[in-house]
Amino acid sequence: MFNPYEDFKDFLSRVKNLPLDRLAAEHDEIMAEMAAGYGKLVEQELKSLVWFVEHNRVIEAYKTATEVINTLSYDAHSIEDFCYVLDSGSDIPYLISGPAGIYIAALCNHVPDEKIVLRLGEMERTLHFLGYRLPYGKSLRIEGDAGNFTGSALQGGEVIVTGSSGDWTGAGMTEGRITVRKNSGRNTGEWMQGGEIWVDSRIRGLGRISSGQIYQAGEAIAEVY
Amino acid sequence: MENGNYRHTVRQLYDFIQSHLYFNRPDIRVGGEQFNSTLLFTLLTALTGGKALIIGEPGLGKTTAAEYAGSLLYQLPVGTVWASEVSGHPEQTEEKIIGRPDLGKLNQGQEEVVWSHFVQLPVKIVDEINRLPETKQSMILDGVDRGNWEYLNEMILNSEYCLFATANYQDQGTNTIIAPLLDRFDVMVESRYPGPSFAFMISQRQEKEGLLRHPDLEQELQEALKKRLATEEKETRIGAVSAAFGAHLEESLQLPTLDHSSRQNVRKQISAISLDQDANAYTRMLLAELSFCDRHGQKRSTDVCEEGCHYTGYLCHRLSNCASNRLPVSLTNYAKALAWFTDVSAVGIEQVRAVGPYCLAHRAQWTDTHLSLLQKDRRNDPLQIHLAREAVNEVYRRYNEQAEHVKKALATAYRIFQGESLEPVAGDHPIYAEIRKDLSLEG
Repeated sequence: MFNPYEDFKDFLSRVKNLPLDRLAAEHDEIMAEMAAGYGKLVEQELKSLVWFVEHNRVIEAYKTATEVINTLSYDAHSIEDFCYVLDSGSDIPYLISGPAGIYIAALCNHVPDEKIVLRLGEMERTLHFLGYRLPYGKSLRIEGDAGNFTGSALQGGEVIVTGSSGDWTGAGMTEGRITVRKNSGRNTGEWMQGGEIWVDSRIRGLGRISSGQIYQAGEAIAEVY
Repeated sequence: MENGNYRHTVRQLYDFIQSHLYFNRPDIRVGGEQFNSTLLFTLLTALTGGKALIIGEPGLGKTTAAEYAGSLLYQLPVGTVWASEVSGHPEQTEEKIIGRPDLGKLNQGQEEVVWSHFVQLPVKIVDEINRLPETKQSMILDGVDRGNWEYLNEMILNSEYCLFATANYQDQGTNTIIAPLLDRFDVMVESRYPGPSFAFMISQRQEKEGLLRHPDLEQELQEALKKRLATEEKETRIGAVSAAFGAHLEESLQLPTLDHSSRQNVRKQISAISLDQDANAYTRMLLAELSFCDRHGQKRSTDVCEEGCHYTGYLCHRLSNCASNRLPVSLTNYAKALAWFTDVSAVGIEQVRAVGPYCLAHRAQWTDTHLSLLQKDRRNDPLQIHLAREAVNEVYRRYNEQAEHVKKALATAYRIFQGESLEPVAGDHPIYAEIRKDLSLEG
């Protein structure tokens, strides 16, 4: 007698691969690689109890970050997800805002995508150095508030902060444009060599500007050529 | 001709009928495309060699839809199709429908049959079938079912044929179509009022019937049909005239058509399409609900479904008859044809759900209680199609809730059938009880 259920012969033996399972596994792998890269950076930088923001130290940290992310395969969405991994602290032994921000900046500068959006409004902590050295042709939109040194050493990219940014916004930037929809902190534009900073609301204090323009609520308040 | 070209040709025929001959609104959506159900199902019926019952109010294009589809799919001038139609009326006789003795030969003491055009041609149309008295409906039962027509001691076997029957809604002159005859129709569709704008357009396009006429070829066919020739020779002669008509259509209307071998190839392609597992499991679930009776072993039109049964929430409680074995045949044939027509590689639930209401509508005998509950529903379809559509959708909802469980039950049943010592998968649906019966685990 023939088996009337022949059509279902292979149903039980079939391994089901749900697309979501595959995506989740890939995502977990990318996050683990990013966390490992950040761990290496922290190892390098944690030589003293306090991480001082010194010009050479920032450059050194960025260089290390660039080296550790060199082999990573990720996209712009992964960077946003990693920000929340950092914020949750569950897989990250030490969150130091400075190196963490530099690490995120390095990720942004080397991701293949030209447009990067970081929706950080739900984050409990604030990351510094977002947009650090953002090169020409890239745009970084930060939805929420950004910490100190936002867009510092900007190299032609565009940084948009939908909330407020901290002190030293645009410090040392050479070209590009920073837009802050709300307020910026003290020393905004310190040592800037070129480019524009547009702040829609209040600027708590301007830095010493070598060259460039700063606008507040659409009006130029500093234009140095 | 390759697969895609056959499909392209048939789609061209659909578009041609839709834009030149049969004007109506789309009322069915499959694979993101809208179709008119009457036109779609008459075309699929002609293509697959099926049987369609077309119902509707008088004058709404029931017969003409069948005539156009039959004429174009079988390369027959529409005048020949008209000449072969059987009209249903109380005085209709077997001699007019099937054949009569050759009176000249009979006078010479020889018994020979003059077969009707209806019997000989592959496109068979019975107009107003429900005006045939019930006793005379049985005359066409066998022919409708198997394509074999008997008269005196002679028989004709149709190797390729399709059948369309039209029926008006019940009035003083109509009879009930007997259940065995109804069951033999694969699908039932309604040729609906097209709406005032399309109706107006019909009045502006009165020349449309001339498009498919060809008096010379009609005459040639008439001669060929009248002659008493060997079957092969007759088929060759009819085939030659059909090919000439096909060439005429291509030349005058730039409309390619399918010859006999192309139609056979299309049927092979349709037949080779398989059902995916969901369509397969869903169809089994639907059939289970249409045939299951916990108390009496199966649905029987003589048994009454009592209240208080565990399965009163399922379709079986609302039905008084059992689904016949012709239902799954119609369902799968038409779902495959629809998949082919819409260029889908395997039949999915969408195709089964699309054809389901039209395959079930005329076969399901709903209880009076169920009819009284739903007949006042707001609807676009005639009641029978509406009820069938509701039933198909209801089973689909249930299938969605337990699709994986049902498939697991069917897969486990396969292994038990193969001799493995496993416990059948249990669940709350007639399909699980039917599986147990198949495995001889339930009386």
